[in-house]
Amino acid sequence: MPANGDLVIETTGLHKEFRTRRGRRVVAVDHLDLAVPAGGVHGFLGPNGSGKTTTIRMLLGLARPSEGRMQLLGQPVPRHLPAVMARVGAVVEQPKFVPSFTGRRNLTLLAHAVGVPNQAVDTALAQVGLSGRERERYKGYSLGMKQRLAIAATLLKSPDLLILDEPTNGLDPAGIRDIRTMIRELGEGGVTVLLSSHILAEVQQVCHSVSIIGNGRLLASGAVEDLVGEQQVKQVRVGVADPDAAQRVLQEARWRVTRDGDALVVEGAEHAEDITRALAARQIYVRELTPVRADLESVFLQLTQDSSLHARRESS
Amino acid sequence: MRLLRVELARLVSRRAVVLIVLGAALLTALIAGSTLWDSRPVTAGELAQAEAQVQEVLSQPDFQRDLSTCQNGPEAFFGPGAQEADCEANLVPRPENYLNRSALDLDEQQQGTGVGVVVLIAALMIIVGTTFAGADWATGSMSNQLLFEPRRLRVWAAKGVAVLLGAGVVAAVLVTGFWVVLGLSAQSRGIATAPEVRDQIVWMSVRGVALAAGGGLGGYALTMLLRHTVGTLALLFAYAAGGEAVLALVPLDGSARLSPTYNVFAWLRHGVRVFDQSVVCRPSQASCDQRLTISLLDGATYLGVLLLVTLIVSALVFRRRDVP
Repeated sequence: MPANGDLVIETTGLHKEFRTRRGRRVVAVDHLDLAVPAGGVHGFLGPNGSGKTTTIRMLLGLARPSEGRMQLLGQPVPRHLPAVMARVGAVVEQPKFVPSFTGRRNLTLLAHAVGVPNQAVDTALAQVGLSGRERERYKGYSLGMKQRLAIAATLLKSPDLLILDEPTNGLDPAGIRDIRTMIRELGEGGVTVLLSSHILAEVQQVCHSVSIIGNGRLLASGAVEDLVGEQQVKQVRVGVADPDAAQRVLQEARWRVTRDGDALVVEGAEHAEDITRALAARQIYVRELTPVRADLESVFLQLTQDSSLHARRESS
Repeated sequence: MRLLRVELARLVSRRAVVLIVLGAALLTALIAGSTLWDSRPVTAGELAQAEAQVQEVLSQPDFQRDLSTCQNGPEAFFGPGAQEADCEANLVPRPENYLNRSALDLDEQQQGTGVGVVVLIAALMIIVGTTFAGADWATGSMSNQLLFEPRRLRVWAAKGVAVLLGAGVVAAVLVTGFWVVLGLSAQSRGIATAPEVRDQIVWMSVRGVALAAGGGLGGYALTMLLRHTVGTLALLFAYAAGGEAVLALVPLDGSARLSPTYNVFAWLRHGVRVFDQSVVCRPSQASCDQRLTISLLDGATYLGVLLLVTLIVSALVFRRRDVP
């Protein structure tokens, strides 16, 4: 969780438009106000093409915003980017290194560019579990090793902020698990991590807080539990011996009832005790009564569907 | 300096760059070797063989008949005023006619092979600059580098200086090596070289090294602008294939001055005199010279401005454009 109220990333009205080759305007990021608190792992969640990578690229000075203001670690960027980049590590999309160089050679060149000694290269390689493989050519690395090397590169600077854009893309399950563990450990070790992802489970497993974007706009932001709580639909799962009889009783009470295996999911009851009372009156006794918690997936789907509908309405 | 050291390390670590430099060294050595072979001293055996061929011609009745006809009427052979001695001088074969070889002449080499070597090295250094920049774009490592040093102009300049130094050092070593080998060979063959020829060779080499280093830098800047090795090579190929022909069609008096090739030769040869078909000769003119002189200064100005414009546009575009 955030260590304090400071923001490590802040954007105000950040906007980016592209022109296609045919001259058509495409809005990639639409007046985005993003605030990432210091400490922990912050998810940056959105479907593919929602503007996550463009936002990250603007923050890192790789793309110029059309409008808006940005701050990294409290400094306005891109003006003060040279001052803050020493404290920021980033992997944008796929790892990008010189294929014919060894993993170590690639890191050494980057380290020397910022005056980091060779020992830091060894430490970073060890941190990501690449010790012993560093003398192999980068082009011979597996996807997982490439991702690890990219993360090792970010660690060379001992960053306060790590920005990782879809770091588990294309990895096998073991690789995904390793990278997620590494991210979690980094977050717990005092580094603020911005994890951009379109994978809901990843964000829910790894992140303390999350910002959700769709069509270049911020849809929701906050602690994962809070967001899930806000969007919670009032549903109760009811387990009884005779679900058919119970379903008839509850429908007579004008609640929406759906079957979930041998259990029932009841929607519309103000209080859970209303359900037990109604069933007990017909000699049906409840053996399970559980509030159905919304997960991040349902929150995400609801928000992004709303955003798509809104975008379609605006364009029509 | 730190960035420059990194870029120099990156440059010499590129396999394509190493291969091109080795290729340049090999070709330079081949040209030097073939020049020395073609001018090798005549052996006693070769001389005896040539003299035998002379004797064979002299002994032929047809030749003796032609010679005596000439001696009886030399003016019929060589025009009014010709003497009998002209017949012997022009018709009697000599052994060197059958040796087909001239001694090593550094002045002659400076105007011919020396220029060729420099042009070849410069062309290869353009490819070095191109592939060095192109690899950063092709692999996507440019964005990674900018995450470590976001001051784009610094990155651009460090890479450019690395190419300039790298290409300059390679060209200096190869050109010096070429002339040292030729000079030592001439010395060992007892061929004297005038001090002014030596000076001309030194200055032509200095200009050649500058051309190669500038060529490398130009190739780099153009590729940073186009962001693709193939794009730059295609542009150079298009120029090689038809650029000069298109320039010749420019409806400007003295359009030959716009030709990069002529300006390169003007730079290397301390000025050139070229035929320019865009110079129109009118019937009213008593005399008309369609040749045009492009001086060393003209060549230097042209190439300098071309390089400077490419550098400025490349750096400014790199500073502004989004990096993928």
